[in-house]
Amino acid sequence: MDLEKELSDAVKAGEEVKADELARKALESGMAPRDVLQKGAVAGIYEAGKLWQEGEYFLPDVILATEAFNQVMKLVEPLLEGSDGESRGRVVLGSVEGDAHDLGKNIVGAMLRSSLYEVNDLGVDVTAERFVEAAKESRPDVIGLGAYMTTTMRGMEKVIAALEDAGLRDSVKVVIGGAAVTADYADRIGADGYGPDAVEAVSLVDRLTGNA
Amino acid sequence: MSVQTKLLKAMTYSKGLRVGTLDGYERLIAGIYGRPDRVPVILQPYTYAMGMHGLSAKKFFTEAKPFINASRNMAAYFGVDFWSPVFDFYNIELDALGQKLIWRESSEPDVDTREPLITTEDDLKHLKPPVPGRSGRMPYVVEAYERYVDIMGLPPMGYCCSPFTMAVLIRGYVNFLRDMRRNPSFAHRLMEFLTMEVVVPWVDKIVEVTNTSIVVMSDAWASAPNMTTPMVREFCLPYVEKVIKATNSAMRTVMDSGSWGEKDVKDPREILDVKMEMMTRGNGFRSLRPFFLLVWNEDYEAVGIQPIRAYAEANKVCLMLNVRPNLIEEGPVPRIVETVVKLLSEGAGNDRFVLLINLVPIGTPVEHAHAVVAAAKQFGSYPIGSPDPSTFRMPEFKPFEDWLVKEGMPVD
Repeated sequence: MDLEKELSDAVKAGEEVKADELARKALESGMAPRDVLQKGAVAGIYEAGKLWQEGEYFLPDVILATEAFNQVMKLVEPLLEGSDGESRGRVVLGSVEGDAHDLGKNIVGAMLRSSLYEVNDLGVDVTAERFVEAAKESRPDVIGLGAYMTTTMRGMEKVIAALEDAGLRDSVKVVIGGAAVTADYADRIGADGYGPDAVEAVSLVDRLTGNA
Repeated sequence: MSVQTKLLKAMTYSKGLRVGTLDGYERLIAGIYGRPDRVPVILQPYTYAMGMHGLSAKKFFTEAKPFINASRNMAAYFGVDFWSPVFDFYNIELDALGQKLIWRESSEPDVDTREPLITTEDDLKHLKPPVPGRSGRMPYVVEAYERYVDIMGLPPMGYCCSPFTMAVLIRGYVNFLRDMRRNPSFAHRLMEFLTMEVVVPWVDKIVEVTNTSIVVMSDAWASAPNMTTPMVREFCLPYVEKVIKATNSAMRTVMDSGSWGEKDVKDPREILDVKMEMMTRGNGFRSLRPFFLLVWNEDYEAVGIQPIRAYAEANKVCLMLNVRPNLIEEGPVPRIVETVVKLLSEGAGNDRFVLLINLVPIGTPVEHAHAVVAAAKQFGSYPIGSPDPSTFRMPEFKPFEDWLVKEGMPVD
């Protein structure tokens, strides 16, 4: 079996130690970092995403595949230079203030990175002010907000309002997701889109950035 | 009337011997075992009570008097049938073990998932079990339960965290996934420790303090899609059974509840079957136990109420459904009433149904919460029939501030 396929299978299976070993082996054998990423790790995470959409994989499977992907990404990303590091856009992600959940956000982040977006993950419990600061600093194309509880969803409206107050709302698309959130809610608060799951979230970002 | 007499009255009422009228507690018991006069409405006051009284999270979740009095005030103001003191029950044992929490001004504390207490197998060897009732914030919970019993003259429904959810939180979700997949012996050792050294002694303490006949282990992490059913069956259910066998008795039921995921699997019965096992494994004399099958709004809105009702009837178990918290927050009143009527007409059947109000966001207009309770009272009498929401009559109610002055208990 060739190294790319082995690596892809290891990522798909969530075997991050094996994925790391195979990625190192591939780099040592002279494979271009971009190929290690795209043909190995990205292929694996996309396969995992497809299996999830087909109902064959469950969230734990996707989470472990994401971890394996992130492990390879950590290794390969610093080696990508110039045109190898071509980015399709910049995305800021975060779970809104008061919300400590990050599973969905982490999967979305991995999927976006695998699709060659630059992702600035602000983490969890992120205030509206911090989102605005990040918007000023990194000039993202898209800001992705996660809220996983009914009691924290309101934080999304605050972020949108804060972006408006800062005069930044027209220069960035805002998409939302999370267990408590619906497409109706996205419309009501003036978000640009709603992602019901990580794979759809990437498609949404592709459409909003003109990459679809 | 003693609690035992009330229980007997409620249970016999539920089976058709309808003598006298039911108070809220009796209605809940009757609704769990059979058919009361109308559908019981129960409340978890939680942070809605905190917000209504202008209390900080630190005060609400560390001081028993403001916590209990604010919770009681809210339940009395809205006129629900029953309430239990609901604190951040996912955190108490973890806090007592030394797990770091994140505290915020106006929401419940959360486990700091960036710093799980158990990062290596060695960490488990050095972990000391809490002293039940004395470690961390356990004294706050003990005092809260004592105050509840004093005020209400009734035992509360006791709550604690289940061993499985505790394992996920103390280890970190991804780490525990890896443990279950690649190091199952360690996962089982962790589960054994949390079950026998943490949960069992704590449940015993809760029962000692409250003399409750029901303790619920809350198990949010045993839910699809976060966990697969095989994972729950291997790593969760056997330990639920251990807790139940170690702590229950003929007069006391310990059960596991609070998980979800019916909409995330091909056949919702896969999750409902697991939920039944979370209650029944290790509990003999099933028909005498106050079990309830709790299904959350995200799931029943997706899969439909009727199939869930059918499942509950086939398994002769009380069905408990919550009213969507965002709906209560956003209203408007007619939409709330229509939803309550739908829950009653599709969920209540001929018996064994309870309506739950929980996780109401801070700032929710009181009129909306009143509407839920009033609609349940107006349309929830058995037999339910086909209620017409357009006939809803909103009762008059005082502004909360005015009510508080005359009838509230002090929170400072």
